[in-house]
Parts: sequence; C-alpha cells; structure tokens
Amino acid sequence: MQNYSNSITSHRVYLDYNATTPCRPQLKSRWPELIEISGNPSSIHHDSRIPKTILREARQKISNLLDCSPLEIIFNSGASEGNSSVLRSAFDHFKANRNEFLISQVEHPSVQKTAAYLISQGAVIHAIPVNRSGQIDLNFIQEKLSDKTALVSVMFANNETGSIFPIEKISAMAHSAGALMHSDCVQLLGKSQIDFQSLNLDYATFSAHKLYSVKGTGFCFIRKSSPWISLVHGGNQERGRRGGTENVTGIAALNIVLDEFQNCTNQIVGMQVLRDQMEKAIFEKISDVSITAKESLRLNNTSSLVIDNIDGETLLMSLDLKGFSVSTGAACSSGNPEPSPVLLAMGLSKSEAQSSLRVSLGWDTSEADVINFVNTLALIVAKLREINFEEKKKTNVV
Amino acid sequence: MLSDNNNSKSKGRVLVAMSGGVDSSVAAALLVDQGYEVIGATMQVWDYNQCDITEGNGTCCSSIDVDDARSVADKINIPFYVLNCEAKFKASVIDPFINAYLNGQTPLPCVNCNTYLKFDHLIKKMKELDCDFLATGHYAQVVFDENANACIQTSTDDWKDQTYFLFTIDPQIVSKLIFPIGHLKKPEVRKIAEEKGLVVAKKKDSTGICFVGSKGYDQFIKEQVSQSVLNLKKGKIRKFPQGEVMAEHEGIHLYTIGQSKGLGMTHHEKLFVIKIDAIDNTVWVGEETQLYSSEVEVIEPHWLSEITDGSEYEVKIRYQHKASAAKLTKTERGIKLTFSEPQRAVAPGQAAVLYKNQKLIGGGWITLN
Repeated sequence: MQNYSNSITSHRVYLDYNATTPCRPQLKSRWPELIEISGNPSSIHHDSRIPKTILREARQKISNLLDCSPLEIIFNSGASEGNSSVLRSAFDHFKANRNEFLISQVEHPSVQKTAAYLISQGAVIHAIPVNRSGQIDLNFIQEKLSDKTALVSVMFANNETGSIFPIEKISAMAHSAGALMHSDCVQLLGKSQIDFQSLNLDYATFSAHKLYSVKGTGFCFIRKSSPWISLVHGGNQERGRRGGTENVTGIAALNIVLDEFQNCTNQIVGMQVLRDQMEKAIFEKISDVSITAKESLRLNNTSSLVIDNIDGETLLMSLDLKGFSVSTGAACSSGNPEPSPVLLAMGLSKSEAQSSLRVSLGWDTSEADVINFVNTLALIVAKLREINFEEKKKTNVV
Repeated sequence: MLSDNNNSKSKGRVLVAMSGGVDSSVAAALLVDQGYEVIGATMQVWDYNQCDITEGNGTCCSSIDVDDARSVADKINIPFYVLNCEAKFKASVIDPFINAYLNGQTPLPCVNCNTYLKFDHLIKKMKELDCDFLATGHYAQVVFDENANACIQTSTDDWKDQTYFLFTIDPQIVSKLIFPIGHLKKPEVRKIAEEKGLVVAKKKDSTGICFVGSKGYDQFIKEQVSQSVLNLKKGKIRKFPQGEVMAEHEGIHLYTIGQSKGLGMTHHEKLFVIKIDAIDNTVWVGEETQLYSSEVEVIEPHWLSEITDGSEYEVKIRYQHKASAAKLTKTERGIKLTFSEPQRAVAPGQAAVLYKNQKLIGGGWITLN
C-alpha cells in the first residue's frame, strides 16, 4: 500500500480550510493512544469503560461549548448525515399538518438533495433567495411562513462566500409561525465567537473534520423535545437516536482537539487580520477582481474572488502546481469542477461563477503563506490573461 | 509541487492526455522515464450519472476510466486533473454525430474530438499550465523533415496507426506534440504497462465510439433524439437504379453505406446500401458492384503540408482501410480524388486522408453532392 503521508512531499500552502482542516498537532502525537482504544462502548465488561468515558467526556465538552445539555448532543458521521436526519425527522413528524419547508438557495447538497427527496414524499419546499451581496431575503421568509411550515433550514454561514446569515432573526420568525429551526453549523466553531444559544436553534449540525479533527465523525444538537427519527436503524446507541456502534476513535480525537475551542479568540482574530491583509494585497496587485458578498457580514477566514477573464479551474490547477491548495467552490466528490450552484443562485453569471476562486484560511495560516499566495496568484493571473488575449487576437474577437 | 520551468534537469514540462486506457498510461510513464516533468489530465466528456453503473468498462468516458487514469498518475507520481469538457464535447462531438446520422451520413466523431478537444482545448491548457508540450497515447509519430519542419508520420504499428484521425491538427502545433508510444507496437505497450505495474496493463482495448458504449449507435441515437424527430426520418428502401420499392424503413440513421445485414427484405441476391438520400429519406440498395467508385469528392480540407495539383497520394477513406493510390485535383470546395482502383463503400461523412511516404499530408470530408 502506498505511503499516505503528505509530509514526504514538498512544502505546500493549504488555503482550503472551509473544505476540511488538517488535524491539530496534539492529535498526531496522541494517535498511538487512540489506536489502542478497542472496547465497544455498549458492552458491560471492563473494556467498555474507556470508550464510555470518551463519549461522556466529548459530549460534555460539546455541551459546554454550545451551552446545552449533554442529552441534546448525539454523535454521528458528520453534517451530511445530520442534515439528512433533521429534515427527514421534521417531515416524518409533522407531515400530517405541516408539510412545508423553507431552505435557503445556498445550502449544502445534503440539505438540498434531502429536500428534493422530501418533495417526492409530498413535501413543499420554498427556496429562500440569497442575493449577490450575501443577504438572505427575510421578506420572502415572512411571506412563506405559515401554519403549514414544519421547518426552516438556513446555514450559519455559507461555505463558499463566508456570508453569515441572521439566524437569530430567522429563528424568531420561524418560531412565531410554530415552525422549528435548523442550521447547518459546520462553519461556525473555530471561526466565529457567537454565543450559540443566542441563535435559538432547534437543530444544529457539525462535522469534526472542519474542527481540525478526523473525517467520518460529527455531532448534532437536538433541542430537548424536538422530534427525531433515527436515520440508521440499529442498536440503542445515542439513546436510540442513531443506531450503530459509535466512531469511538473519531470521537476521542474530537475530544482532544475540542479543548482548544473553549478559547480560540486569538486564532479567530488572527485569521481575520491575515484575510484582510490578503484581500488588500490582491486588490493592489490584480486588476478587475471583486470579492463576492464582501459588503455583508462574513466569516473572517473566507474570500470568494471573481477574477475577470480567468477560468477558475485552470487557475486552481496552476496554483496547485505551484503548491497552493484552494478551491473553485465547494469541494466536489468527483473532482470535476462545475460552476458553483451557490454562486449561480446568488445571481452571479455563469462566467463570473467560472472565474471564481475560494480562499479559506485557518488557524495554521501564516503571514508568509498569504504573501506568497498573493504574489503567485498575481503572476499566474497575468500569464493566463496574456494567453487569453493572444487566443482572442488569433480568432479576431479582439 | 513541480519545480519552475527553468529547471535545467528537466527536458521540459508535458501535459499528457490520459484516458485511463493502456496507451495513454504508458505514454505518461515513458515521458516520466525520459526526464520530462509530466502533468496528467483526463477530459471528462460525459455525465456518468446518465450511465448504467454496470456499463462503461473499456470505453474512454466512464468514471472507471478516470479512476484508472488517476491510479496510474499516482503510481508514476505525477499531478493529475480532471477537466470538465462535457459542454464542449456535447456541442462539438455528440451533436454533430447525431446530426450526421440523421442526415444520412456516417460520422467520424473521433476527428471532431481531436479537432475541438484534444488538439485545441488541451493545447490551450498546455499553455496555461506552463507546459512546453502536449502528449497523447495516439499511435502516430512526430518526425522532422529535411527543413526541420515537424511532421506527423504513421505509427510503426500499421494495424493500430491512428494518424487517420489527426488530419485536422494545426501544422503550427505539431512541433509541440509528443506521441510517446507511436514507435511501439501494441503488445510492446502492454508489456511496458505490465513491467511498470500499471493497473491498466490488461485492460481491454476500447473499441468503437467511446460515448456510445456496447449498446450500439442506433440505441444511443434513440436515447438522445425524440421519437417525433426520428419518425421524420422514416422512408423507403429502393433498388438502384430503377427505384422499385423493396421495403419500408424506420429511419435513415439506421443505415450506413456498404451495409448488407438487417435490411429487412428478401432478394435473390445479396444487396447492399449504396446511397442514402436525406431529402426524401430513401435508402438505395444495389448489387455489390454498385458499391464501388473511383472518384471521390472531398470538402473542407485541412493540410499539414503543401499539396500539388495532379500529384498522386496514398489515400485512406476510412480508419481500417488500406491506403490506395489516388490522383489529386483541386476543386473550388476542396479536392477531387481519382483512385487507380475503384474503392468499395465510400461513405459521405467519413474522411479521406492523404499520405506521402508514411507522412500525413492532410485530408477532408467525403461528400456526395
């Protein structure tokens, strides 16, 4: 089998933290310990003690972080599972009286595709518009909310543009119509200092791999008494709310990294300083570039650039060859970039969406990384624009 | 991460088109051995979600093939990308393919793919990714003539030679092309793949048209075109030259010149499709002798080298055709070819490709009118 270590390849600059985050160093040093964990947390004998402790500790830590009861947290495989579970639970529970859902047009596919499935089961979905400034249409929400609405689902912040949505307001609107409120919160922890309880959510979904831990682990906040139907039928794990033996190793890893989330103000402020510095340098060095949703409240680590006359796919490959990892939109499982549906939904033209590049910084990003990135970006953009100009001249379009 | 281009150890940077088949995989591996900096790319030309999950083995546009190409790129340790070419492929390959059949022609989609994707789109990517060369796994060779001009020459593997599909290449870019396996024969290519432990070593050759797959082109067209349009293509099968009606047919797109099976009629002697008339949807059948013609009209020619009016060239009128001698006469729309020996089943929509001493001179599209 191939050596999977990235460390043997030459130095790379990772600027795609919204897609996934590298594991914290303390996780690497404690990995042998994690591999030792072998018991099943549901067993009765001695070997189940450590796995049980891990689940209890991690659940407690999350509930401290979110200021909720540990009973309101279940572990699962990640936010896609969480999002599917939330929507399906709300539908199954309310369908007799309330079969309408409001979801934003810029949700993750795990929300959008679950909604599409629910339509086939008799649900009515209202897609809440988001404009190119990143503002969600609150009037639309107010208009569509009724005593038929089961659930409103709006992400805390968009993974592509970083736009932060006014969840507190939307929750209040949903609740006054008697509907429940869900938010996909994968981009919240470690990027925002907001008081989670102020959002007043009934459901929130999270992934550990966006929190500097391992993939395949996640958790879901389910406010007490909110309806819930397990997506996975199995044993009585997670108090019957999610069948299947818990991913104890992944949860133990999350437990280790969560300590740093109790107080990560410095990291959050640090990302903002670097992001703003990066955007300033980009405007200085590159002409005809804009930043999508810059005018609205944004995550402080994210820049969604539109670079005129540049094919984002080619730009991404050129940057990759120079050692920089960025993305053209959401990470796509096929590795085959299509113009981002999120940007299209926000009203960017197809060519703007195809000229887009997402840069997302993380706790490990250094000033040197940002400076090197902007310098390389400027060189590549100049070169690609020159090639485009030559091509157009050849075909007499100019 | 690749080094910058001024790396003196490197022979240059090459973008190699990798289909996931054995030929382009070995091409990429050989370039690495030769000291080039190699970047692999697969053009995704078809939406896999439309494909039956059990299908696709051995065609150049299934997701299995992308996985294979990626696995070879991992093995030889080169960067690898999937390029989204679906829209371009549909517009420049699939749509013309369907239209040709609906107009009674026998299309040649591989040439369009080469013209608009491999040797246009990828040439642009080559420049954009700071590469010096573009390589493909074609059985063809780049040689330099006495004036140091780069020319395309047939492969040493006569059976696999693919220069027939390359006649639309812009002569300006030939010096930028590398065909790393053009001097090899297929069994040698497989042997190299095996020696290098590439997963594709035993993969069967792709046959036929990649996006059609095993279901056959008539089924493909049925899936892509509405029945109401196909109904407009129904007509009669008539016997040449008197025009007696032999049968009704379900659409001219179901017939190709030279076809004798599946005509749906009985006759005391074997009959062949000799002509398809798209104006009144008539499929003309006749005896085998009527399939032969000496003169072939060729339009929209592309030339890689100068041609001489009245000169004789070796000409292929379809891929698996043994090149035959023909005299070239320039015409207003292209050229006329006069073969020394009459040629069987000359099909409009196919290409006539000219050679001189194994060197690819150029070619054009065969037409009837």
